[in-house]
Amino acid sequence: MTGAARRRAILGGAIAAGTLVLLAALVLVAGASPGEALAALVGGSVGSGAALGETLTRATSLVLCAAGAVLALRAGVLNIGLDGQFLMGAAAAAAVGPLFDAAPYAARLALLLAAAAAGALFAAPAVWLSERRGVPPVLSTILLNLVAAAAVTWLVRGPLQDRAADYPQSRPLSAEVRLRPLAPGVRTTAAFPVALLLAAGSGVFLSRTKAGLKIRAAGASPAAARAIGLADAPLRAGALLGSAAFAGLAGGLEVAAVTGRLFDPFGTGVGYLGIAAALLGGTGAGGATAAALFFAALGAGSSALQRDTGVPAAVATIVPGLLVLAVLLVRRRLSGGEA
Amino acid sequence: MSGFLEIALLLSAPLLLTAAGELVLERAGSIQIGAEGTMLIGAFAAFAAGLGTESPSVALAAGLAGGLAGGAAFAAVAVAGRADPILVGTAWNLVAFGGTAFGYRLLAGATGAVLEVPRLPAGALGLPPAVWAVFALPFLVHAGLRTTRPGLRLVAAGEHPELLRAQGLSVVAVRTGAALFSGAAAGLAGALLVVTVSPTFVEGMTAGRGFLALALVVFARWKPLRLLPASLLIGAAGALQVRLQASGGPSVPYALFVALPALLALFALAVTPGRGGAPKALGAPAP
Amino acid sequence: MPQHDLLVEAATVAENLALLDSSAPFLEPPAARRSRVRRIAGTFAMDLGEPDAPVADLPVGTRQRIEIAGALAADPGILILDEPTAVLSPDETASLFASLRRRADSGHAVVLITHRLTEVFEAADRLTLLSRGKTVKSCLVSQTTAGEIGGLLLGAAEKAEGETERRTEDLRLGGGRPAAAEKGLQVLSVESVVPAGTSAPPASFSLEEGDLLVLLAIDGNGADTLARCVAGLHPFSGRIGILGRPLPAAGAPRAFRAAGGRFVPADRRAEGLVAPLSLEENLALPTPPGRLFLDRAAMARLAGERLRQHGIRAESPASAAATLSGGNQQKLVLARELDDRFGPPRLMVAIHPTRGLDLSAAAAVRDRIEETRRAGTAVLVASSDPEEAGLLGGTHRVVYRGALSDPLPPETSLPALGRRMAGLES
Repeated sequence: MTGAARRRAILGGAIAAGTLVLLAALVLVAGASPGEALAALVGGSVGSGAALGETLTRATSLVLCAAGAVLALRAGVLNIGLDGQFLMGAAAAAAVGPLFDAAPYAARLALLLAAAAAGALFAAPAVWLSERRGVPPVLSTILLNLVAAAAVTWLVRGPLQDRAADYPQSRPLSAEVRLRPLAPGVRTTAAFPVALLLAAGSGVFLSRTKAGLKIRAAGASPAAARAIGLADAPLRAGALLGSAAFAGLAGGLEVAAVTGRLFDPFGTGVGYLGIAAALLGGTGAGGATAAALFFAALGAGSSALQRDTGVPAAVATIVPGLLVLAVLLVRRRLSGGEA
Repeated sequence: MSGFLEIALLLSAPLLLTAAGELVLERAGSIQIGAEGTMLIGAFAAFAAGLGTESPSVALAAGLAGGLAGGAAFAAVAVAGRADPILVGTAWNLVAFGGTAFGYRLLAGATGAVLEVPRLPAGALGLPPAVWAVFALPFLVHAGLRTTRPGLRLVAAGEHPELLRAQGLSVVAVRTGAALFSGAAAGLAGALLVVTVSPTFVEGMTAGRGFLALALVVFARWKPLRLLPASLLIGAAGALQVRLQASGGPSVPYALFVALPALLALFALAVTPGRGGAPKALGAPAP
Repeated sequence: MPQHDLLVEAATVAENLALLDSSAPFLEPPAARRSRVRRIAGTFAMDLGEPDAPVADLPVGTRQRIEIAGALAADPGILILDEPTAVLSPDETASLFASLRRRADSGHAVVLITHRLTEVFEAADRLTLLSRGKTVKSCLVSQTTAGEIGGLLLGAAEKAEGETERRTEDLRLGGGRPAAAEKGLQVLSVESVVPAGTSAPPASFSLEEGDLLVLLAIDGNGADTLARCVAGLHPFSGRIGILGRPLPAAGAPRAFRAAGGRFVPADRRAEGLVAPLSLEENLALPTPPGRLFLDRAAMARLAGERLRQHGIRAESPASAAATLSGGNQQKLVLARELDDRFGPPRLMVAIHPTRGLDLSAAAAVRDRIEETRRAGTAVLVASSDPEEAGLLGGTHRVVYRGALSDPLPPETSLPALGRRMAGLES
């Protein structure tokens, strides 16, 4: 192992160990024992068929958002707007889904395409502002996230509202259109393998296609890419739009597979968690997917944790955040392109 | 003072305070999208302290302290550590949301009983002095940036940090100071929410105000005086919503008020040639 | 070039001068700042513009003056000025030197960094000549002449005087290979081109198939910038045409390539190679083999061929380009640029192609350039090293403050060349 790789491994180990210590500390503060807590976490995430199903269900949108974050990062762009793109994808699916009561396969295709397209379209203003006005994409996408949250609020009380429901939500997708669970008693649907496939696909895209190579070049060294004759601005824009499409699709799958409808608030900052997973995973599709699965397991396990030991489920949000802060503290500036 | 105006001012103050802090930080060249998280931490600290001491002033101080700590953490990783500030802010939001939810659950137990913190006593014209002080802040920031030496150096840190380095000054020091200020402001703003608008803590109670402050800074083209009318308008809209709700009219959710400034800010960015007045070195690591 | 001036563009003249004044008070009203501007402008007899004008709106010369005035006003014990007169008019230069003379006479130290020998002999008391990081000569100005310094400026003059004389006689221009003799197709035409952001006089020249033109200039005089305009990486006014196709004035590296242009940049790590990518990947860019998916086998074959052809030594084609030595990196850049899978290179633009390379790598690079020239490629080189130019051969023109000289006669001696590059002769 080279010196640099060994240092990274030691660092990674130290961070993992630190996380366990921190988790134990939080558990103790909450008045429970680390042993019980661990049992609850593991049991609640992988301890039974139902638990595993819960983990995989949560993982679906996380894996897709993480893959989207990786795609953008390798192009040298930080897509902080994933959360808003996720919401718009969900909104599109909730809008298109109920229109097709009769033809389930066509309906699913249509709503998923609409979701991906909605995500990408929602990132387009940021691309325009960046290319034509020099506005940093992080600024415009943060603003767009606000707009997306407001749009969801308005849609479930306005155009998409289900008049028959007692609190604001969109008209539900019919049972035929919604994706069916893979096994009885779990919420996991075909959405999960689809997400895994797409994440793997994005990794293959980056490392094995011509466009992927060009995107990586533009992300690793925009000046060289330009001098060599690559169209670096369109490449970055394309990567950003692709990343947004992934997030939009994640939103669409959340509606089609898990909730069946849109409500307010929707999703719990899954876009931001996806970015965190991408960072922890070293901005490679494989690592990001693993980190996303870990976060999903943590989320699933934490509800069991709260139920069984009283330790608040919020640990599932604290731990990823602290992990990322630790990584950032040690890794300096994250460079675009190869990590 | 009429109820409407009072509510409008009370609603504007936390937003204005956070936006002013964020503006100072961005003029110095950094950016903290985790202002939302810091506000939450300030709110929670105020809640905890208020419960313990029954004193709204102590609660405010606790919020300020919590915000300062948040600013220090941000400075350590994003300024001195030169990590990407957007990533630090993202992680910070996760920690703050989770941390305050965790803390609240432990404090309030699983019962869900509403615990209240005493409100700040009203002062002149029915509003607490702390609130009035907030409205003076944009003027202070404006004057500070333009007439004081530290203010000039702060602007240089955001526009051309190499210039400060050439003079032997530390950009990290300037931005750290700005981070502490903006953290304190956001923390105090969160505390204000607890002791004026809502006497209790609720998970995620800031409801996007921290992000809205970011939008306000962009909309104000990074000029402090413009923060005033913008935040007052939002406060007025909020007061209008409260009035509509009280009189049994349609309930317009807060999120919609959040969208309007964001849309306006985007529109302003689109129509202004150039980068819309953003500091040149915004987000770049300190040299 | 003062594109790197240390001023805050968004701020006013008054604010910038206040920033540069380390004795400024904590609190200072705008009126006091304005009067500072007027006071400094008066003391140093310089036009600094309106106190409340944003610096961004001011011309480059005024900005330079503000920076200098700010430094002078700080009354430093030691003042170091790096190329201060680059954009000053002769009057302003005279006025500046008068101020500097007053400072020196009153006991302060002034260090002037310049490559304009006229200034040295006008204004300075002592001089120290640095070449390639080493002190070549340090003496009183009165003890030497412009001619001597001009010659020393360029040669490696560590040896005894006798040897030095012999070396400069050997290295005459045109001592390399002869340029193409017959008239061929015009490949490059440059008409009245002024690079954006400079105040250089319009440059015009043309190149035919097999021509080699070396633009010789001391760094900062504009040879690099002109070359970058031709390569589509710097906007310009005027007309540049490659094989009859005009290049967009805003700069378009892809149009340059589409017309058959190839570019070897000065900074190979930043612009020549994508450092973290592998050798194979670098060689495959910008048009990798394959349709949708990369044809890895073809890439491997291509890499193997190129590494062999160009004598590039590397651990493996999959190692990152960053791991190569400087010489091998430059060979890699050339290997990629000289790729003829989609048509031969018609025009090559190279900036400092052998700078920082050891003798064998430099020779290899020169050989490649000569090879492609013989095959009909027109070659434009920007260089600051007359040795490099001499070994490359071809036509040589000096660029001084953006102005192109006529082609130099082949028998120009090194000292004479040095004087031309330093602006002492035209």
